[in-house]
Amino acid sequence: MKRSWSPFRVGTGLLMGAWAFLFWFLLASGRWSLYVSTRTFWVVPTGAILLTITTAGRLRSARVDHAEPLSTRMSWTLGAIALPVVLILTLPPATLSGYALGRRSSFVGSGVTVSADDIASGQISFIDIAAAQSSKEGMVALRARAGEQVSLEGFVWREPGLAADEILLTRYVVTCCVADATSAQVRVVNVPPGRFQPDDWVGVSGRIYPLGSEILVDASAVAAIPQPSHPYLTP
Amino acid sequence: MAIDVVRPPVLPPRAGSTRRSALIVFGALAAVAIWIRVGDPEGTAWAQNFFIVFGSLLVEAMPFVLLGAFVSAAIEVFVPTSTFAKLALLPRPLQLPAAALAGVAFPVCECGSVPVARRLAQKGLAPGAAITFMLAAPILNPVVIASTYVAYRGHDSLWIMVIGRLVLGFLVAVSVGWVVGATTKDELLRPRSDDGDLDLVEEGEPRWARFASHLTGDFLFMGRFLVLGAAIAAAVQTFIPESIVGRVANLPILSLVAMMGLAFLMSLCSESDAFVAASFTQFGPAAQLAFLVSGPMIDLKLGALYAGTYRKGLLRTIVIVVFSVTLVGTLWVQVVFG
Repeated sequence: MKRSWSPFRVGTGLLMGAWAFLFWFLLASGRWSLYVSTRTFWVVPTGAILLTITTAGRLRSARVDHAEPLSTRMSWTLGAIALPVVLILTLPPATLSGYALGRRSSFVGSGVTVSADDIASGQISFIDIAAAQSSKEGMVALRARAGEQVSLEGFVWREPGLAADEILLTRYVVTCCVADATSAQVRVVNVPPGRFQPDDWVGVSGRIYPLGSEILVDASAVAAIPQPSHPYLTP
Repeated sequence: MAIDVVRPPVLPPRAGSTRRSALIVFGALAAVAIWIRVGDPEGTAWAQNFFIVFGSLLVEAMPFVLLGAFVSAAIEVFVPTSTFAKLALLPRPLQLPAAALAGVAFPVCECGSVPVARRLAQKGLAPGAAITFMLAAPILNPVVIASTYVAYRGHDSLWIMVIGRLVLGFLVAVSVGWVVGATTKDELLRPRSDDGDLDLVEEGEPRWARFASHLTGDFLFMGRFLVLGAAIAAAVQTFIPESIVGRVANLPILSLVAMMGLAFLMSLCSESDAFVAASFTQFGPAAQLAFLVSGPMIDLKLGALYAGTYRKGLLRTIVIVVFSVTLVGTLWVQVVFG
């Protein structure tokens, strides 16, 4: 019997191939960091490899004895599953902005994944500052380092009640994927008024002062920076 | 030896019709791509938020769905039907706990367990046991236990959360399996008119080709519902502020219900939800536990997957039993531990 290409198998093979291409693209371009954390990065190469194997298997078995139809309904189903591939590939690279702040909880509380010992030694990071606000031991450790120089990166956010020379330097903390993002913020004072707009990425250098339950950074330099290649922090 | 359902040869499609529908769909996708480039929807804050959350849910979940489809296809092609027939002969009091504990050997998220449970039921495992496995696997697995431990390390409620999640997750999963009870496979699984389109197998095809067919069929079947569920979850995360549930944080029963509702709406992966739960410091351990137990069993993303896989009655049963047993269990925790 003469074997022919099955439109259904070719169609599903191409769909799997499109998803495989997306995962390889995310891997090669580094854009995976816009969607998942460094902790779950492994799903990207795993997905790429599994999807490639599946695509190869599907296309290898696409020649059949009896033609299999690709109905209009199935065509639209394949299109619906391919739609996210088109969206992710076409959209410009972007990260969660200040808009999401009101829809997320803060990192305080889950920040205890950083120990007081980590906060007490080494360079002070954004995660250390956020974590210190969630435990007494952490805050004690940070207070012992009051006046030390820090360098932090984040995006600008402002809320009613902040003085003109103050901003909330903000980062999102992502454990698995962006859907679980929580926000971490630190108040920065002595910022040139009006120079930076909400969602602008800035690098801040200054001295850190834990005051009561709040942590301030007295900025000595604030400069605009491009969005970091890994915009989300991982605890 | 596994038996495939070999469908009779179908009439050849009209080549023109196949080509036309494929071209229309391809054209629609191209139009979406052009609209995105020209219209710049990400210039709007809510659209940017929606697309990022939607994309992230899919990038993380798709490999797990595929892993689940691999296991499901392997069960179909390589595991003899008689194996499940023997398991089905075990007394139900043994079947359900064993099915729940099987999750320990299958450390994937909830999305991966759905196609496996469907295949297990199709192959003859008691439907109650298949459902118990599906609900327990995302909680009773080593990765989730470890992530819960890490998220609550240093909290006074550490062991309440870790042990409470394990024990209550086990009890809820077994309860649903027990309620599903004597349901037959046909009463459990939703009949699908297009089922034949998804995993067609030809007579005499080698095992690897049958494996590829079943794998692709499961991926397609789950994939469309995953896309739908991720879109709904992303819309909720875009438009509904989490702060609305904070108002009931101190109310005894409402706080539990609110956290279960929030878990339903957020549709988080069970391997990361503990970090989010721990951030709701205004809620007590019982409410956080309600979030951690009910979320991996029923949420918007899973609701779409269940609705496509099972009959309406079962979806209703899962929702009612999961919410009521979790509520009762966490009320006990609230009374005992505050």
